[in-house]
Amino acid sequence: MPVAASAVYFLNLRGDVLINRLYRDDVGGNMVDAFRTHIMQTKELGTCPVKQIGGCSFFYMRISNVYIVIVVSTNANVACAFKFVVEAVALFKSYFGGAFDEDAIRNNFVLIYELLDEIMDFGYPQNLSPEILKLYITQEGVRSPFSSKASERPVPNATLQVTGAVGWRREGLVYKKNEVFLDIVESVNLLMSSKGVVLRCDVTGKILMKCFLSGMPDLKLGLNDKIGLEKESQLKSRPTKSGKTIELDDVTFHQCVNLTRFNSEKTVSFVPPDGEFELMKYRITEGVNLPFKVLPTIKELGRTRMEVNVKVKSVFGAKMFALGVVIKIPVPKQTAKTSFTVTSGRAKYNAAIDCLVWKIRKFPGQTEPTLSAEIELISTMTEKKSWTRPPIQMEFQVPMFTASGLRVRFLKVWEKSGYNTVEWVRYITKAGSYEIRC
Amino acid sequence: MNDDRGYVNFNEKSEVSDLKLQLRQLAGSRAPGTDDSKRDLFKKVISNMTIGIDVSSLFGEMVMCSATSDIVLKKMCYLYVGNYAKVNPDLALLTINFLQRDCKDQDPMIRGLALRSLCSLRVANLVEYLVGPLGSGLKDNNSYVRTVAVIGVLKLYHISATTCIDADFPETLKHLMLNDQDTQVVANCLSALQEIWTLESTTSEEAARERENLHSKPYVYYFLNRIKEFSEWAQCLVMELVAKYIPSDNSEIFDIMNLLEDRLQHANGAVVLATTKVFLHLTLSMADVHQQVYERIKAPLLTQVSSGSPEQSYAILSHLHLLVMRAPYIFSSDYKHFYCQYNEPSYVKKLKLEMLTAVANESNTYEIVTELCEYAANVDIPIARESIRAVGKIALQQYDVNAIVDRLLQFLEMEKDYVTSEALVLVKDLLRKYPQWSQDCIAVVGNISSNNVQEPKAKAALIWMLGEYSQDMHDAPYVLESLVENWDEEHSAEVRLHLLTAVMKCFFKRPPETQKALGAALAAGLADFHQDVHDRALFYYRLLQYNVSVAESVVNPPKQAVSVFADTQSSEVKDRIFDEFNSLSVVYQKPSYMFTDKEHRGTLEFSDELGNLSINAETGDSVVPAQRVEENDKDLLLSTTEKDDVRDPGSNGSAYNAPSYNGSVPSATSQPLADLAFSSTGATGQAPAPGLAIDDLLGLDFSVGTATTPSPPPLTLNPKAVLDPGTFQQKWRQLPISLSEEYSLSPLGIASLVTPNALLRHMQSHSIQCIASGGQSPNFKFFFFAQKAEEASIYLVECIINTSSAKSQIKIKADDQSSSQAFSTLFQSALSKFGLP
Repeated sequence: MPVAASAVYFLNLRGDVLINRLYRDDVGGNMVDAFRTHIMQTKELGTCPVKQIGGCSFFYMRISNVYIVIVVSTNANVACAFKFVVEAVALFKSYFGGAFDEDAIRNNFVLIYELLDEIMDFGYPQNLSPEILKLYITQEGVRSPFSSKASERPVPNATLQVTGAVGWRREGLVYKKNEVFLDIVESVNLLMSSKGVVLRCDVTGKILMKCFLSGMPDLKLGLNDKIGLEKESQLKSRPTKSGKTIELDDVTFHQCVNLTRFNSEKTVSFVPPDGEFELMKYRITEGVNLPFKVLPTIKELGRTRMEVNVKVKSVFGAKMFALGVVIKIPVPKQTAKTSFTVTSGRAKYNAAIDCLVWKIRKFPGQTEPTLSAEIELISTMTEKKSWTRPPIQMEFQVPMFTASGLRVRFLKVWEKSGYNTVEWVRYITKAGSYEIRC
Repeated sequence: MNDDRGYVNFNEKSEVSDLKLQLRQLAGSRAPGTDDSKRDLFKKVISNMTIGIDVSSLFGEMVMCSATSDIVLKKMCYLYVGNYAKVNPDLALLTINFLQRDCKDQDPMIRGLALRSLCSLRVANLVEYLVGPLGSGLKDNNSYVRTVAVIGVLKLYHISATTCIDADFPETLKHLMLNDQDTQVVANCLSALQEIWTLESTTSEEAARERENLHSKPYVYYFLNRIKEFSEWAQCLVMELVAKYIPSDNSEIFDIMNLLEDRLQHANGAVVLATTKVFLHLTLSMADVHQQVYERIKAPLLTQVSSGSPEQSYAILSHLHLLVMRAPYIFSSDYKHFYCQYNEPSYVKKLKLEMLTAVANESNTYEIVTELCEYAANVDIPIARESIRAVGKIALQQYDVNAIVDRLLQFLEMEKDYVTSEALVLVKDLLRKYPQWSQDCIAVVGNISSNNVQEPKAKAALIWMLGEYSQDMHDAPYVLESLVENWDEEHSAEVRLHLLTAVMKCFFKRPPETQKALGAALAAGLADFHQDVHDRALFYYRLLQYNVSVAESVVNPPKQAVSVFADTQSSEVKDRIFDEFNSLSVVYQKPSYMFTDKEHRGTLEFSDELGNLSINAETGDSVVPAQRVEENDKDLLLSTTEKDDVRDPGSNGSAYNAPSYNGSVPSATSQPLADLAFSSTGATGQAPAPGLAIDDLLGLDFSVGTATTPSPPPLTLNPKAVLDPGTFQQKWRQLPISLSEEYSLSPLGIASLVTPNALLRHMQSHSIQCIASGGQSPNFKFFFFAQKAEEASIYLVECIINTSSAKSQIKIKADDQSSSQAFSTLFQSALSKFGLP
């Protein structure tokens, strides 16, 4: 039994019920109360997303300011349940066109009930693909006035084609201009010791695609990854030209990718869904190019003074630049006064999170701005309570840079009508959890 | 919602009746725009329903308004009807008509919706209306209707199993499952049949056979061949089935694995996990392939952990945790994946710490311990504690612990309460395994002031070390002495127990310095209300009395280093969890029967109802043998010593030889008791003198048992009183409470309550019979009765004993109210003698 959910609830942070869908009678009607009294109002909240109360198990997830709770009475499949919630939220978002929060739910509750009816029957997950559902649940979500784009109303379809050989794509799509957008988004996770040793480093990347293509096109994507290139050089019996090859630790694909062909021919070929989707995810641990190096020196001068010097070095190309760089340097709770100088950007002391927050809006490559600060502390009576130094954390985005070095080599589109397509590729590297101990 | 409830109620009511009125107006209207206003009204109704306001009174109006072609309106109406039909079975009949009509609509969408709603009414006496539409739904040429109908059959089964079976629906589903073009229909058939046949198999052989058949080759191959057509959820379902399949030979196993290998690349973590399960279970019998499977699934699982929400990572990590525990060496080179990130939720960190502990080996220990030490300074205290414990565990499983011991000792010097506490516990365990480190550790431990250690576990550890290594720690006796002085402020029994033992050990090593502390500790221990502490003190006292050198060999024998600490979970339980891979069992780390079966879920709650008490009608004969053994065990210890106490021996005899005592029980127990008492003293040849000498030496003055007990009043009871539980209950209900009192119990009595049966037998010896007893420490509850000798007058007693406060509350009901006071005195005197030998 994959899920067999007995009930699904949406609650706001105060515990008010926003949506309440009971699928089975094997749990009592007051399950919300049980959740409120045993989880929400206790310290339990957030300590574990799976919790047993009485004979029922509760899975809960917080998404913006809403809790989604699934109640089961059997030994259910946990991974499946959480994935279901994530997929359901993605589906709701695609209907509301943007945020999934309390307001959006209140504005769209009828639509949500409608969708909940379709995506789960008697506790078993059914079809969750937005492409298909939009064929027969045509009701438009109430969009918040801030959401950017008005939807093109899906074609109402009298002859339902709920299932078919290609479940994720409708037939008969027509676009005047055939375009494909590829976004390679990588996030770098780093954990560096205070001595500058990389303790742990990896990159999780995903390739997002936006397809506006007519008909039933067949796509083929070539990357500079090792397996793909090796295969190619074997076929053409000549060594690959220049450039770095990337070794992917692991890859997962959207269901549209023909996995048999990937395994036999090592090519990523697929018939894409219409619109936006995540084509693949990958993970790399070897040969990561770190975009930034952080060199902190923190000196505690006696009991009431500290000196902090932080140098941040950008190690990507001089022509590139990073955007939205934020460096959070932790300071003790009893900080009284701070004074600092920075060679670039702006810094201020944020008492709420006990950090010096240093922001640099545009950070060119091959530069090394520094921050030096003096911190005065309130001398406290509880002596010797040494300060546990949390790590320095960094946020950034570096466009046109991939920490893994991954590049798209080609994207071939083949459709029987033989139209021309325009392909766009963008790269961006973001900070995942980028931590430097000090 | 508001403080002024009356106002709110009024408001709600008026809103509902307002809605009712408006719905009624719209019901007949065919004017353009009606549907829009209906939509608004329906939305209001549904939103009221969601927040829990009862809008069932609108049922009739809602049904009247349902005659519409607007599909959204229909859906809202169906939702409403589904919610309230169960509480309004009569009104639900109203809806049957329009739902049945909609089941024949030409739009498949409406047919499906109507059928789903029809099956969701859940009204038992309407099932006859379901069979027809379901039958045609299963044959519908539209796959959407068929998927709905299949689940509809399952719903029908849950409302009325017989109707479902009689209509032969399972057979139809089976046919559909094997022939339908649409994989969602097939998947739903599989879910439905699995549920139906599992439930049916308890009564029907055929259903059991059918269920087994699902795991047979033709079925499994049929599903496997279509696996790529299934949705990701249905794939999980199929994999679960395949995991139970037993292939006939190895080539079959490889075929299946080759077929499914690409599933490990699926974006859905649930599919990856389900595939993992298939691989692991298929290869269980082939050790080397099984290892290769671990290597193969490692990367995909690690990817799933690092992508997705923390909750999803948690679900995957729990499974990875299980695998790491099964095969730590395979993951030992991937230890960096288990490093914690600063902002990760603690439930993720906790699992990672456990994995880091498990994968530590000679090659990576240094890195792992260095990393764990970073966490010890973490802001999140529970995680900091866990990481210190992890360091300790690694130390206990490694051979080369040099560096680790240094780290632990550094923890002790960090001067943070929780760090010191955890580290103390660890150093203690470490010394039990590696006594050779004692010099280094003791030097550091000796610097820790016992005043700075508050947590019971840590304090107990410190005290243990003080006792064990008292010869190396200069001020051990004095530290122990000051701890004994504060005996009353020490709330944890564990600490007090350790203190007793430590003082004993110290005494044998440095007698002159510890003598005073030992005396004080034994005296305090004997007066302690906690039973274990009391027992241990008494035991030491008697040991010392008996022979000091024997006592030393008992308390302070040469110890062997512990080589392996016991594993907390049995391998059988672990295997069961592994069998249930990819389910809640793995997250809870216990097999499913422990959280789905009622009897395993929790301890029985203390019940107030007489009928629900756990031990009923103590009628004697069948339970006697067990009791006798218990009694003997207990009294073996008591009887050897009590002779030494300055006490009137008469009370002992009278308790056991009361003339009113009857039945076969007394002779069986009291006889061997007396024998034991004599034989043991005779054999050892101990005269009272040495015991008294010890008392003098330690400065003890015993007055245990000399408390005066009220002498029994002239009221005599019938020793052979009989009352059946039914009559007791009846009388208990009829009679008023004539007396209600509270007594204190002697600590010895409380101590003897470990076996509540002892009290029953003791009271029986006073002609007071127990009819029912129950409860759990600290609260015990007993119902007694007694009968006046040569009269029919009955006394009923409810007695609640709280062992932590040593109080008993007693309610007496009597036929003859006038004598209840006399009975109460008798009861009290009997009770007060309990536990006194």
